[in-house]
Amino acid sequence: MKKTTILLLFFFSLSLPVCAKDLMLGEKITLNEITKVSEINAQPEKYLGKKVLIVGIVIDVCAARGCWMDISSDEPFQKIQVKVVDGEIIFPLEARGRTARVEGMVEVLELSREQAYRYAKHKAEEQGREFDPAEVKGPTKIYRIRGLGAVIE
Amino acid sequence: MKWRKLNYKLHRDIGYLCIGMTLIYAVSGVAVNHISHQFNPSYTIEKAVTSIEPVVSNKEPDLSLVRDILAQLEETGKFKSVVMISPGAMRIFIEGKTIDVELTSGKVSQEKVARRPILYEVNYLHLNKPKGIWTYIADVYAVLLGLMALTGFLMIHGRAKKRGYILTGVGLMVPLFYLVCSL
Repeated sequence: MKKTTILLLFFFSLSLPVCAKDLMLGEKITLNEITKVSEINAQPEKYLGKKVLIVGIVIDVCAARGCWMDISSDEPFQKIQVKVVDGEIIFPLEARGRTARVEGMVEVLELSREQAYRYAKHKAEEQGREFDPAEVKGPTKIYRIRGLGAVIE
Repeated sequence: MKWRKLNYKLHRDIGYLCIGMTLIYAVSGVAVNHISHQFNPSYTIEKAVTSIEPVVSNKEPDLSLVRDILAQLEETGKFKSVVMISPGAMRIFIEGKTIDVELTSGKVSQEKVARRPILYEVNYLHLNKPKGIWTYIADVYAVLLGLMALTGFLMIHGRAKKRGYILTGVGLMVPLFYLVCSL
């Protein structure tokens, strides 16, 4: 009986992170000052390679691996993507619609026309919609945040 | 105690210890092996398309509009938040559900997400989502599996010796052959 209780407590303790109200993922957040997503979107080169802390509503999460999420901006209709190394942090699908505080480095993806084509095709597949080749205009730059740590509130 | 007897006992007891973890990793292993954009091993994702009355008002979308849309959809789930993703598109988040509304056409795309019972939990452990102490528990399990293989190999002797070597060889050749063919 005692052994069973200990085992049950052990498995219960493992489930605690799942039940926690604030879900902490990856490294601990170290910055206090919040950078507005709209500021990063307006002047991405200024923030390139810098560590930032952003706050916003989780608009979408990678449905296959939880390896990225889109965070809403303080300005309407804007967002920014937070990408993490597959498996290092896994964003849960339940994060959608919740507020996230994310710390990470601003980075740029410089894509050639072929890469942009593959990227757009991949995004269309992820979103379960038909891919329209016309949406690829040529080489492109995508600014995003390489996520280091996050708190989903 | 002879070393063969000790080896046998080690293999047996490590085997007992590994039963639970092996079942967890085996079930989850098959599930996560098939991850794709069409299959999430931890969640069921149901999509549905419906429609509501198109929103023709010129005023800024507000919470009363959200309430009206949810009422039309007979949605009673717990409201989380709402975001305007473009001037004519609203995304409403309900507990376990994401609702995309095209305001001018009234087209509604709903995505219902729910944890797969058992699979969510075993994948949670297999993919090391808890991190922390679970990382070390999984490391110990990996070492124990290595010991199982080693003590298993040392058990090859006697009448079944030939069969033991052949089966061990087959087990080693399968990944090696695959690597040679695919690299």
